[in-house]
Amino acid sequence: MRFLASLKITLLGMILLALAAALSYGNPADVSVWVLVAPLVLLAANLTAAIFTNPRINRQTGLLVFHVGLLGLVILVAIGRLTHLDAHIELTQDQEFSPDLLLDTKAGPLHAGSIGQVIFRQGPYTVDYEVGMKRGLTFSHVLVPQADGSAREEVIGDDRPLVLQGYRFYTSFNKGFSVLLTWEPDGGVPISGTVNMPSYPLFDYRQDNVWQAPGGPEVKFWLQLQTGITEKQAWTLDGRNSQGVLVVTSDELRTELRPGEAVTLPGGQLRYERLLTWMGYAVFYDPTIRWLFFVAIISVIGLGWHYWVKMGSRLLPSAHELRPEGLSDAVERSS
Amino acid sequence: MTEQSFASELPWLWAGLCAYALATFTSVWGVVTVQMRGLLVHEKRYEQLVLALLVTGVVLLTLAITARWVRIGHGPWISLFELLVSQLWSLGLVFSLVYWRVPALRASAVVALPVMWVLGTWVLTLEPTASHFPATYYNNWKWVHVLLGKAYLACLLIGVGLSGVMMARRFFPASRRWFAIMPGDDIIDRIAWRVMILALVFDSLMLIAGAVWAQDAWGRYWSWDALETSAFLTWLGLAVGLHLRATYKIPYWVGGAIIWGVFFLAFTTYFGTPYLSPAAHKGVV
Repeated sequence: MRFLASLKITLLGMILLALAAALSYGNPADVSVWVLVAPLVLLAANLTAAIFTNPRINRQTGLLVFHVGLLGLVILVAIGRLTHLDAHIELTQDQEFSPDLLLDTKAGPLHAGSIGQVIFRQGPYTVDYEVGMKRGLTFSHVLVPQADGSAREEVIGDDRPLVLQGYRFYTSFNKGFSVLLTWEPDGGVPISGTVNMPSYPLFDYRQDNVWQAPGGPEVKFWLQLQTGITEKQAWTLDGRNSQGVLVVTSDELRTELRPGEAVTLPGGQLRYERLLTWMGYAVFYDPTIRWLFFVAIISVIGLGWHYWVKMGSRLLPSAHELRPEGLSDAVERSS
Repeated sequence: MTEQSFASELPWLWAGLCAYALATFTSVWGVVTVQMRGLLVHEKRYEQLVLALLVTGVVLLTLAITARWVRIGHGPWISLFELLVSQLWSLGLVFSLVYWRVPALRASAVVALPVMWVLGTWVLTLEPTASHFPATYYNNWKWVHVLLGKAYLACLLIGVGLSGVMMARRFFPASRRWFAIMPGDDIIDRIAWRVMILALVFDSLMLIAGAVWAQDAWGRYWSWDALETSAFLTWLGLAVGLHLRATYKIPYWVGGAIIWGVFFLAFTTYFGTPYLSPAAHKGVV
């Protein structure tokens, strides 16, 4: 136990952890998470042994709190990585959230959150831009159903996430326009759906997409937008103040559609119902984040307390000790 | 018309840097000449002049920051120019307080003030271009994070001044006369490492506040971006230094070199790493 508690092992573990941190810069795909886990396990074992055997730690309350807190942080981070979920989602205006819509999902092997119970509906949003197209604040409206059947509107954006069942939804720079279409197949049942265009205004020049009509031809879309976009003055992106003409191209046929208009294609009729918007969210779940915060704060309070008890009241040595070195030499010589 | 011509903060900045420069020269002149005369008492006149110049510099930099704040509509949070001016202000403020309250350590200004001048020279080479205030910077945790970071870097600067004295005594024996007015290396070493523990407290709190801000602003508390990796390595470097000192009886100059190493890492974190990209946290502003 005493061997494991050695400060030399602490130093070795810290140097290995520093190397691991440097290797982990930017989360490279070819660096295993074990590069970080191995030195952390070594340090956790070393710290546990030191807490039990090293009187410099376990007989000084502040240092004990600090080191136990560090151990707690390592354990909490491990639990967090095993149970976390990170994902992205694009929600179209009026669309209800569904776990099936999550993209790029990365979840810990023990993730057991209640994402199935997350219910909200996307509303409209606005994004402010300063002169020079510099993005400002985002205000995304979402509707969260209540127990009494009503819906509570929340305005989220930037550093104000929507938090439901522990899942945090953060707006992102990735957002744009969408078109609501209805496909009426010859002799079939009409179906409606949306097609999202690329991120706006990032891809202002390339608002196009391709869609395969069920049982029909491949259709190319190009959305001609009027949003009031300008670099010369402040501007607000707001789907409610925007218009879009949908250019539909199929085979040699090119048609411009305004909301409510339709075009007849081989196999059916395509109606452009209306212009919508979509918002991209980063989804984050980690049940440990509040505990991480509290344990981290308590740890530092422990260190601060130790510092205060041991040194704070006498940060500086006594006036006798602070006398000039040259004077000390002179005193020693004279004695 | 260039941005330089209507940047209202520049006259105040230049005046503030001049005051810091005069404080630096006066402290060097005072330490060298007073000790050459063999005086082992605090020479009040030159020390008071140094303190007055430092305080004047802080006041002038306060005016520079205020003028820029009014001109561009936000505080010194974003560009390297702003960060350097802001750090010159806070380092000057904290160092002035220490210089005022602890006469026994005043001679360390000979080391600490030239270090500040690295920042002062650097800022003179930069354009005062107005920066864009990102949406993620409206978060109030930014204030906590930045203020703790300033306290942390100021502690490191004090440590650098003290350890610089120890190293100068070791490698330039002639300097022992200059610093004869300061306590012995054993006392300076003890004070320097106490300041390093205080730096660890502020560094830890800064990382916690930064993580809360990152969680709010970018939806994750840690993602090993350039700044986070560098900040963690600095924290670890400080912890290694403290444990090394607790494990081995390291010579004073080695302890001083470790403090300089930690300061170098912190300096790189503050003023180098964030500018691998145009944003403090790469790609997430």
